[in-house]
Amino acid sequence: MADEMNHIERAMAGLSNQPVDRLLTYPLAMGVCRRLINGTGITYQEWVSDPKKFAQAFIEGQRRFDFDFAIGLMDLSVMAGDLGAHVRMDEQNTPFVDDPLIKDIEGYEKLEVPNIKDPKTRSYVLVEGTGMFVEALGKEVVTAAFLEGPLLALTQTRGAEFVFKDMYDNDSSRKAVHAALKTITDYDKEMVKAFAEKKPAGLVWDYLWGSYSCLGDTEYEEFEGDYKYAGCLNELVQKEGMANCIHNCADLPHLDTQIKKWKPAIYSMAYYPLIPGSPSAKEVIQNGYADVSLVGGNIDPQGFVRWKPEKMEEVTKKLCNEVLTELKARGLGGRYCIASGCEVPPALSTKLENIQACVDATKKYGVWA
Amino acid sequence: MDKDAILNGLENAIVNGKKAEAINFAKDALSAGIKPLDAIDAGLIKGMMIVGEKYAAHTIFLPQVLLAADSMYGALDILLPHIPREAAAKRIDMVIGVVEGDVHDIGKNIVKTMFTAAGFNVHDVGRDVPAEDFVEASKANNAQLVAMSTLMTPTMDSMKATVDALVEEGIRSQLKIIIGGAPTSQEFADEIGADMHAINAQEGVAKAKEAL
Repeated sequence: MADEMNHIERAMAGLSNQPVDRLLTYPLAMGVCRRLINGTGITYQEWVSDPKKFAQAFIEGQRRFDFDFAIGLMDLSVMAGDLGAHVRMDEQNTPFVDDPLIKDIEGYEKLEVPNIKDPKTRSYVLVEGTGMFVEALGKEVVTAAFLEGPLLALTQTRGAEFVFKDMYDNDSSRKAVHAALKTITDYDKEMVKAFAEKKPAGLVWDYLWGSYSCLGDTEYEEFEGDYKYAGCLNELVQKEGMANCIHNCADLPHLDTQIKKWKPAIYSMAYYPLIPGSPSAKEVIQNGYADVSLVGGNIDPQGFVRWKPEKMEEVTKKLCNEVLTELKARGLGGRYCIASGCEVPPALSTKLENIQACVDATKKYGVWA
Repeated sequence: MDKDAILNGLENAIVNGKKAEAINFAKDALSAGIKPLDAIDAGLIKGMMIVGEKYAAHTIFLPQVLLAADSMYGALDILLPHIPREAAAKRIDMVIGVVEGDVHDIGKNIVKTMFTAAGFNVHDVGRDVPAEDFVEASKANNAQLVAMSTLMTPTMDSMKATVDALVEEGIRSQLKIIIGGAPTSQEFADEIGADMHAINAQEGVAKAKEAL
């Protein structure tokens, strides 16, 4: 069935809990779309070092797959790299920190906010590149910047294991962790303001550590949830005229804090069927989280590598049916976006036809009959 | 201090993540003539089991688990050199690591802790480990178990490369292979020729013990 709404009309309807012609869809295809540039694709190093190339991937992805959103995720080592950690750039693998910057407790207090206007920083590439795809696609789809939350950026800069131990090892290590989080929160504030100048419709935070596999409510509140960290950042995003959104692909997300308390416009999440307690789409809707936010999820990202398009269509169809049934039962509008639970693997082995199969299946089976 | 007080002290030091206390109680155990293996079993392992149960029940979280693990290793450093050679030889040797291309090792380290607590001799080859290093470590330590993890989808292929390398070197049949990490599954383990998949450290220990 042909779409009756355009992408923005559909997204705005979903965001305001109104009826939609069909469910929204956005497999989180970011890095993988670098493979569409110049016909043969470009390396990760090229993609993350040049704003035009970064933007081009989103533009090419939109032309090829006809998504409902464009969200500017680069990778999760942007901030750590600009703070001074060493980032390994493989040709076709997501860049990652292979040598953390902070080696001891004193290191936390030495962090400094980098100059994000320096073209050599990836923060600059990210902001400028986001601006470019917002300009190119902003009248066609809902666009959003993507940014690492303070605790995620810190764990990338120090190493998660060390940060978690330092949180409670002794008073001075705990104080040092907070000092670093304050610096990174200041860095995040500068990034939010820089993104706001590019006029994306929203900004997506990666608040990965809000997971009961990692931190309890008390720990999460102290080291990220507190107003002086995520609280004020969420507020700043809205103050700067962007919709505040959250991505959290952890297995047991802190939904009450991150959705019910913070009320993001969009909440993107994963589902781990093997892990007891990992919430399915049905449970998320039944428990009222889609009342508050437009929820995105939760197709297994590795399916884009391993499945055949027929299987992807089948999985997407099943998810559409599950979501449509539950949304209707709860009397909601188009409050769910069919998406991958985390980024579609940007590897060469990812089958591009699976991205298309997911989008096409949503158009076919996600119709709000 | 009597034996029970020392063993209780060891256990509590682990549960509460107090490394300095754990080290001191380990020294007290040796001074009091407690056999090091008894101190490990009735103090450290008992404590780590409690930590594992609390973590599984979500009453404690990663910071507390990691501090407990640190405390256990601190005490083990004191006790292990005093274990008689014949007793040490009875422990099962295993190799553990994060496969090539991936540096996420927090999960691997928790699994390592639980296997150590369960009495395995754990040889940690680290993170971003090429297949040949798994092979070399398995041969060098006469390993009966290889445990591999990855958090990222693109590096799942490195698990298969490692299994293939163990086959090519002719040692695959001498050991069991267990895999873990968010994107992995039993289906994937079957696909690449591994023996087992576990969703968490405790399940990993249980499955490995059953298989060996």
